Amino acid sequence: MAETKVKSHNDDKPKPRVRPIVRLGIFLVSHSFLVSVVCCTSGVLALFLLPVLAKNTYISENALMPGSASPMLSNQHVLDGNRLVKDLTNSNLKSSETGIGSHKIIAQYMLDLGAEVSFHKFHPQMNQFHPLHFFSSPDSGKIQENYSCSSYGINTVGIIRAPRGDGKEAIVLVTPYNALKSGFGEALSLGIAYSVFSLLTQVTWLAKDIIWLVADSQFGEYAAVAAWLREYQTPKFSSSSTLNAEMCPDINNLFEIKVHSVAGSKFSNSFRRAGTMAAALVLKVRDQSEQFEDTISIYAEASNGQMPNLDLINVVNYLAVHRQGLRVNVEKLRSLLNSSWLKSLGEFFESLAKVAKRLNPKCKFGIPATEYVEGTATLASSLYYQALGVPTGPHGAFRDYQVDAITLEISPKFSLDKVWRNDILLRGGRLIEGVIRSVNNLLEKFHQSFFLYLLTSPSKFVSVGVYMIAFALLIAPLPMVAASLYVDANSSSNCSKGDSSTPPAITDADEHGITIRSWRWLNSAKLVFIVHLWGAIVSLLPYFICQIPDCSPTTSFVIWVLLSILSLLILNTVLASPLACVKASQVKEWALVKSVTISSVFIGLGLMSVINFATAEFGALLLVPMCLLAQPLKLDVRAGTLRSFCRIICNLVLGHIAFPPAAFFLLKGMLDGFGSANVGDFWMWVESLWAWNSATYLFIGMVQLPCWVLCVSILFHSC
Amino acid sequence: METFYNSKPVLHLLLLPCLLLYSSIAFNSSSVEAAMHTNNWAVLVCTSRFWFNYRHMANTLSLYRTVKRLGIPDERIILMLADDMACNTRNKYPAQVFNNENHRLNLYGDNVEVDYRGYEVTVENFLRVLTGRHETAVPRSKRLLSDEGSHILLYMTGHGGDEFLKFQDSEELQSHDLADAVKQMKEKHRFKELLIMVDTCQAATLFNQLQSPGVLAIGSSMKGENSYSHHLDSDVGVSVVDRFTYYTLAFFERLNIYDNASLSSLFSSYNPSWLMSTAYYRKDLYQRRLEEVPVTTFFGSVMETIHTDAAYKALSRRNSGRFEAQTSLDQSVHHSERRTPIKVNDRDETHNINPEGEGGATKCPWSTFCNKFQKAENVDSLVNYGLVAMIPFLVISTWLVR
Repeated sequence: MAETKVKSHNDDKPKPRVRPIVRLGIFLVSHSFLVSVVCCTSGVLALFLLPVLAKNTYISENALMPGSASPMLSNQHVLDGNRLVKDLTNSNLKSSETGIGSHKIIAQYMLDLGAEVSFHKFHPQMNQFHPLHFFSSPDSGKIQENYSCSSYGINTVGIIRAPRGDGKEAIVLVTPYNALKSGFGEALSLGIAYSVFSLLTQVTWLAKDIIWLVADSQFGEYAAVAAWLREYQTPKFSSSSTLNAEMCPDINNLFEIKVHSVAGSKFSNSFRRAGTMAAALVLKVRDQSEQFEDTISIYAEASNGQMPNLDLINVVNYLAVHRQGLRVNVEKLRSLLNSSWLKSLGEFFESLAKVAKRLNPKCKFGIPATEYVEGTATLASSLYYQALGVPTGPHGAFRDYQVDAITLEISPKFSLDKVWRNDILLRGGRLIEGVIRSVNNLLEKFHQSFFLYLLTSPSKFVSVGVYMIAFALLIAPLPMVAASLYVDANSSSNCSKGDSSTPPAITDADEHGITIRSWRWLNSAKLVFIVHLWGAIVSLLPYFICQIPDCSPTTSFVIWVLLSILSLLILNTVLASPLACVKASQVKEWALVKSVTISSVFIGLGLMSVINFATAEFGALLLVPMCLLAQPLKLDVRAGTLRSFCRIICNLVLGHIAFPPAAFFLLKGMLDGFGSANVGDFWMWVESLWAWNSATYLFIGMVQLPCWVLCVSILFHSC
Repeated sequence: METFYNSKPVLHLLLLPCLLLYSSIAFNSSSVEAAMHTNNWAVLVCTSRFWFNYRHMANTLSLYRTVKRLGIPDERIILMLADDMACNTRNKYPAQVFNNENHRLNLYGDNVEVDYRGYEVTVENFLRVLTGRHETAVPRSKRLLSDEGSHILLYMTGHGGDEFLKFQDSEELQSHDLADAVKQMKEKHRFKELLIMVDTCQAATLFNQLQSPGVLAIGSSMKGENSYSHHLDSDVGVSVVDRFTYYTLAFFERLNIYDNASLSSLFSSYNPSWLMSTAYYRKDLYQRRLEEVPVTTFFGSVMETIHTDAAYKALSRRNSGRFEAQTSLDQSVHHSERRTPIKVNDRDETHNINPEGEGGATKCPWSTFCNKFQKAENVDSLVNYGLVAMIPFLVISTWLVR
């Protein structure tokens, strides 16, 4: 209705006044080259500015009150923990071949404290590629009957009920433990957890139940935790597990635990549950360490770059640094720490800040160069692990159920005397106690602080509002360039066709021609669509390839490449070979193809930034320059100027880099050195991606690869 | 017939001076009584819930304990607590509340009567308590049954800001609401003097709109200032008391019910460097000089005792009225219309005396008149009496003329 009104209004006035926003749009489109250069450079610059713009973390949730209560963990609890460590290491020496013995010891210890104890048996589920399972919530798992007795894991679960609590919420403490070959570190982590557990059975202030999960990590830490969580959250109603238990004598053996008559303690064969999980802590102690002081590393990245609430990290950081005197670490890209160009960039920013401060004393901008380098290294690793979309520890399993969880890895300065062991037990235990008490104070789920952030140090973060600017600047030129290309392609063909026909006297035939020409982009759109369809097929192919038995990664990869090429050729021929279909009249066919490609990349990047920002950021860094620079090589060769020569070189370099496997090998070479690179690595990497349901895999298959193919086709366009 | 016809108005006319005399006396006495202190009330409000606001409940309970110790009985304290910290599962000491980390004093002992608890503590209920507009089903123990001679202490603590105080984290009381409620109270003769004490951030802003006379207000902080907690109990794991309340309590701990410390000594006891904020008091609506007002005016229940010779004689109306008022306080619970006990008494007496005046018309009023005349308290009454005395002469003269 309104539109028709506007239209009639326009008809009345031959030269309608254009609104400012439209005029701005037209201006930007007509100067798209300049705009794109400015936007892209500022986008990259903004990315490097992020460590400078990082803010200090703060505890946003009032209810948490970390460190307001003095720790209650005493030496008695430490001695208890020590006793467990000793028993476990001794049982290891005795070497029970199945590790049942240590499970029994742990369960007995828990029972003696008066906790509810149960065993959870699970069969490790091999992570398989399920094309339709992306983003879907984890299911209860297929019940497969053909498990053998040898391939099961046993999680030991102890639950303390809050004495006056309503039993609706719980806090989970996870200690991965491999009974078969446990190092001293794992035993120590159990000791810490036990000392905290023994304290928590005595306290009166619990408002949430405490679950201590000793995850059997012989099939990997993640698998054990994920299996337990699956059982906890989505109960399956079948008797297969009990049947299995009866068939396997070992497990039956397990249940013969003599139950002492400790009040409240009970051992149950069935799966025990507590309330909704408020938070989960995974505790690990590293075996060997060369640190000079006791450090604690925080791992937070879950699948698809999801992060736990920042408050959880803040609480741990605050308690570790200000209460227990531990050094807190988050992952860094070590290779970046020594790079000189980063250092000089940091120095440049520092001097810039000094100038700014001289101009305006209130200006609080800029950090020392060393801090900048560290911040960038941390930020890069934060981005990298988020982009990968693979969880960095067992905490990732919790995030799938919207439970905030982090992994804490304590790496003590190494020494073997007893005093040191007691010290690390005491400090680690007090840290865990403090975090649990703080989370215990929580009234609701973690919600106050950020979920979307990048860490630049344990106490500094970049929030979504800041880092999105860099990304937005990077992809802002895409729609403008697409529009200008489209306009150019249409107007140039117009001009070439009819210079004689003046605008006021357009004949019917011309009008018809214009409508046909204005719909010509559909042709290019078809091409782009077909390539994207091909991308989808390529990303589905591994599902079939991995069905082939006894296939080495290298051969799988080769098969994948061959099949991909084959499918591209087939699609090309079946769907009227649009790549070869170039008519003489359509001079600027490539421009239209480029325009539509850019639009599709823009949509793809925009969607991806919502799902996983870091992937989208990396993708944009690769794809945006490639898309913007792509131009048929023939044209540039014909032009023969310096500028076109530069463009040829850029195009060729980008054309190589943006090819996903090439990008992978480049990155891997940069991080690990080129010597170990192997063709099969890419296959393994991709396998890990789809095993973790990483959206990065989808992005590579359905955005990056088609875009690369389209750009290459533009490069080799024959015009 | 005619004489009879005439005599009736004459009788009326004869009665008139007596009635006028009485009414003038009664009016005088009641207007004097209105300004008299009858009883003390305290409304203590903790407006915030959640475990981390433990200190607000501890503040309120400490104040509760203090005013109770200084003589305000439970029945005249309205205690509103927005949450139950004592039985919170996070409380390390179940059913106990402390306001000091030495844990010497359990504030949540045996004799705590909470009138409004939990989600009952709303702005609506708070305003209802102040203005006395309750639903009929609300029990008397939850009502503020003050009268025009009452001294009321209104203590509030919680989280606030510029001209508002948050209730329960979901609604807020604005300074306009408070001023309006106080105004209504004034109009309904629900208080004689009112002390509003607020411990919250920017507490002073809450008093901006107050207009009613007889209101004294003190807040823990000026506009733009925060009120801070005093100390953290690392055993319980929360802050247990706010600074302003802590130093108020410290002041009162030294006092007992017989002490004569003045309000100004309380107000000047707040040291800004201890409070980390500036205590602000607004006294422009309050007539009396703070130096002369003992703190027990609001924080205790200390009555002026007046010695009377004869309790049941109606000779000295004023004294008897005062005496009645004082005794009535103790039985006040049984009265349904306790709000104006003096008025009731006066009315009773006039009713009692009226038939007496009809029977033996002269004695009682005359003696009263004499007393009053001898006392010659003020010129107005003297003129009144003179005018009244002239009426019989007028009547007699007209009668004689006819």
